[in-house]
Amino acid sequence: MNPLPVQSAVNIRPHLQVRHWSRKAKRFAVVLSFLAPSLLLYGLFMLYPMFDAVRLSLFDWDGASPTMSFIGLDNYMNLLKDDVFLQSLFHNLVWVVISLTLVVIPTLVLAVLISKVKKGRLFFRAGFYLPSVISLAVVGVLWAKIYDPLMGPINVTLQKAGLGTLAHNWLGEQWTVLPALVIVGTWAFYGSFLILYLAGLQNIDPSLYEAAEIDGAGPVCKFFSITIPSLRYTMNVVISMVIIYAFKGFALIWIMTQGGPFYKSEVVSTYIYKSAFGMNKVSYATAGGVLLAVIVITLTILFNQWRERRE
Amino acid sequence: MRLLSAGGKSQVLLLVFLTISLMFIIMPILWVVLGSFKTTFEIANHPFSLPSSWKFDNLREAWELGNFKTYFINSAFITGIGMLIVVLTACPAGYAFAQMSFPGNKLLLYLFIFGWSLPVQAIIIPVFFQLKSLGLVNTLTGITLVSVGMALPFSVFLMRNTFKDVPKELRESAYVDGAGEWRAFLYIMLPMAKPGIVALMVFTFMNIWNDFLLPLVLLISEDKYTIPLGLLSFQGNNGANYGLIFGGTLISMIPSIIVYLIFQRQFVEGMSAGSNK
Repeated sequence: MNPLPVQSAVNIRPHLQVRHWSRKAKRFAVVLSFLAPSLLLYGLFMLYPMFDAVRLSLFDWDGASPTMSFIGLDNYMNLLKDDVFLQSLFHNLVWVVISLTLVVIPTLVLAVLISKVKKGRLFFRAGFYLPSVISLAVVGVLWAKIYDPLMGPINVTLQKAGLGTLAHNWLGEQWTVLPALVIVGTWAFYGSFLILYLAGLQNIDPSLYEAAEIDGAGPVCKFFSITIPSLRYTMNVVISMVIIYAFKGFALIWIMTQGGPFYKSEVVSTYIYKSAFGMNKVSYATAGGVLLAVIVITLTILFNQWRERRE
Repeated sequence: MRLLSAGGKSQVLLLVFLTISLMFIIMPILWVVLGSFKTTFEIANHPFSLPSSWKFDNLREAWELGNFKTYFINSAFITGIGMLIVVLTACPAGYAFAQMSFPGNKLLLYLFIFGWSLPVQAIIIPVFFQLKSLGLVNTLTGITLVSVGMALPFSVFLMRNTFKDVPKELRESAYVDGAGEWRAFLYIMLPMAKPGIVALMVFTFMNIWNDFLLPLVLLISEDKYTIPLGLLSFQGNNGANYGLIFGGTLISMIPSIIVYLIFQRQFVEGMSAGSNK
């Protein structure tokens, strides 16, 4: 019963070993032929720039001069002392709070109502999703006109209704600009969340509702005791996406206010863009970008862990 | 009988409520669509009335004066070529992740998913200087390649989920017939993944066609602008001429609305698949 030493087996039939290796190499080549094109493009235009961003953020560079000097973490230290940067970060947080309030529950209620429609459900789904299809450039140009202090329909309607005192220069006043922008962002994005909710609602076992009806539960009770607990997973996805969008937002703000008036709607991404391409503080802006990435990726990981723990 | 009529009544109430809400939500879009057929005076004084006469002057003028023809061609080039490359590269990769076992499968997949959560703003500055050193700033080639690279994380993930749903037995039966990996992929698996591929194409179209940040940073001269960027400069040049701006806005939003209305089902299914797994 003494087993043959592996080595001797190999020595006895060396050609088999060679064939084994060549098969492995061939297998590797096949797998590589499937993956290489996407890995190459992704590596070249996302992974490499990410490493480059970290490297660049440790230097002092204006984007044009032939030399750059290594300054370690100075850019990061200066960012944390930069009032405008901190204010931008704060505006991102305000954005998170307002958009969570506007999106999470109201969109769910809308989804529940649409799911109750017997005929024409697809029509409503398509209609309510429409704003999400339009490019943010169009949304920004369009809503800037809606908020226009003189000709915009909001102020015109207020004036006609005799409520002229409520009219504001919505995008030009420090207390109205951020909420006004968040409303536009919500309008442009809630459609995706609506679709997610509708998909989630379809997966709820209808017998749960029937059982609750037999117990005499009303619609509000059913909403809180069945719909919300059953949609816990979808709600997590929606909440995390709302938060991440709030940190990633750029186009709408850039088009509508460019961060103004007086930095009152500045967010991290607009400040990065301005610093890099307007003020030539290239490596400083890159450090801001790295911080933004750290925030977004940390949030994503935290949410995934939280979700896995609760399941 | 009483129950039925009660149900009917609440259905009517529900429909009325939803219709009013829908009108309210799409009012901004209606405003633009109607406005692009009106004069600026009409827009200001009767924002939501039907135009007194349906004139196409705004649309024609925007198309000609506003260079929208050039923007349209640029957008079509970037989006078309970009979609092609994304499909050609994401399909085999998604297939490999879903159906082949090899060391590092999970790790590489996570590497792709990581890119999905990476905000573009964080890497746009190095990308700009990278393209500059390659001589690709302000070229359609450069922005197309970057758009593809940034679209790939989601695309690969979507195709991986699509190919996960194709039964493994199909692939094995292809082996029994003596087909290699690529043959099995091209002739047996790819046709099964058609719905997923259509969804991928619709998504890629929307993302590249509507993108704003990459064109803003990577394209410099007006003859290279895409529609979103062109609309912005068009608006800047025609400040108070609402009629004209609405014409340009309508031109800008028509293509994506048409694509959405045609491919609605694939779009919705793709979106639910992308986030539910």
